[in-house]
Amino acid sequence: MLLPKRVKYRREHRGNMRGEAKGGKEVTFGEWGLQATTASWITNRQIESARIAMTRYMKRGGKVWIKIFPHKPYTKKPLEVRMGSGKGSPEGWVAVVKPGKIMFEIAGVSEEIAREALRLASHKLPVKCKIVKRQETGGESNES
Amino acid sequence: MSTALTTNKRTRGQHSTLTKLRQKGAIPGVVYGYQVESTPISIDAKQFMKALSDKGSNSIFQLELDGKKVNAVLSEVQRDALKGFIKHVDFQVINMSEDLEVSVPVTITGDSVGVAEGGLLLQPIRDITIKVKPNAIPETIEVNVTDLAIGSSLTVGDIRSQYNYDILNLDEEVLVTVTPPVVNEEPTETEDEVVEEE
Repeated sequence: MLLPKRVKYRREHRGNMRGEAKGGKEVTFGEWGLQATTASWITNRQIESARIAMTRYMKRGGKVWIKIFPHKPYTKKPLEVRMGSGKGSPEGWVAVVKPGKIMFEIAGVSEEIAREALRLASHKLPVKCKIVKRQETGGESNES
Repeated sequence: MSTALTTNKRTRGQHSTLTKLRQKGAIPGVVYGYQVESTPISIDAKQFMKALSDKGSNSIFQLELDGKKVNAVLSEVQRDALKGFIKHVDFQVINMSEDLEVSVPVTITGDSVGVAEGGLLLQPIRDITIKVKPNAIPETIEVNVTDLAIGSSLTVGDIRSQYNYDILNLDEEVLVTVTPPVVNEEPTETEDEVVEEE
C-alpha cells in the first residue's frame, strides 16, 4: 500500500477541500483517465483496492498510472474516550482529492476494457467519478 | 492555412460579466504580441470551435482589431476541468516573417513489430517543439514505428534528420517506446497488512 517513507509532522490539521483541483486535471500519461467530480479524502486502502480492481480486470497488458498519493496522515481517538487530552493517534494515510483531479490513467488496452476497468475502480472510491479520454491538441469533443 | 475570426472588443469588468458573456455563446479572450497592445476581446464560441476542429490549434488565425487585420496564433486555451468547455483564449499576434516556436503533435504511423508480439506501445512525449516560419507550421509530425521491436525506442535524435524543421527538443528525449508485456500479478494477502509508523 502507498504511504510516505518519512513525514515532518505525524499529525496534521484536517484542512478544507474548497474549490477545484489545482493541477493534474488532464490525462497526461495514458489514454483514459478517471476524474473525480466531488471532493473527498481517499485512503491508501481505497487507492490500492481500485488499483487491484483495474489490474485484475485488465489481466494481461495495459498500463496503469496512479496519479494521487496519500501524503496526509489522519488521526483517530480510541473508542469510548472522553473529549480532550490531546489529539488522537495516527490511524492511516489519505490523499486529498478535489473536483477535476485525474486519479488513475490507463493505456494499452481497448476503449471497452479501459472503460470497464475504470468503472470498477470508481466503485472503490468515495468520490463521484467520470471517465475521460486524453485531450488531443486541437481536437474537441474529448469528454465522455 | 489562416482562419478568419470575428472579434469583439470587451471592457475589463467584473467576473460576472465574463460569465454572462459565456452564457451568450461567446468566449472571452485576450490579444497581445507583435506591435499590438494587450486587448481584451470576445469571440463567437461556435465559430472558434469549428475553426479549431477544422484547422487545428496550430493554425494561424486572422483577427480584426480596430479595423486592422492581424495574424495570431493560439497562445493558451483555458478549459473547464469538469465540463470541458473553453473558458478563455489567448491570441499572440506574430510577425509573419519571423520564425516561430510551436509545439506540434506527434502522430504514430504503421503497426509496430513489438506490439504484434504482445508489447505495449508508449508515447512519453506527445508534442515536439519546432522553430518554423508561421506559413510552414505542419499539422502533425509523423513517426513510423513499423520496425520498433520490444524493448526498443525511438528518440528525437532518430527523427531529426527526416525533417527540415529546427527541432528544439533534446536528442535523448524518447518519443515512442515498446515495453515488454505487463503481467499483472495477483496481490498477496500478507502484502496488504504491512503497517509502518514513525
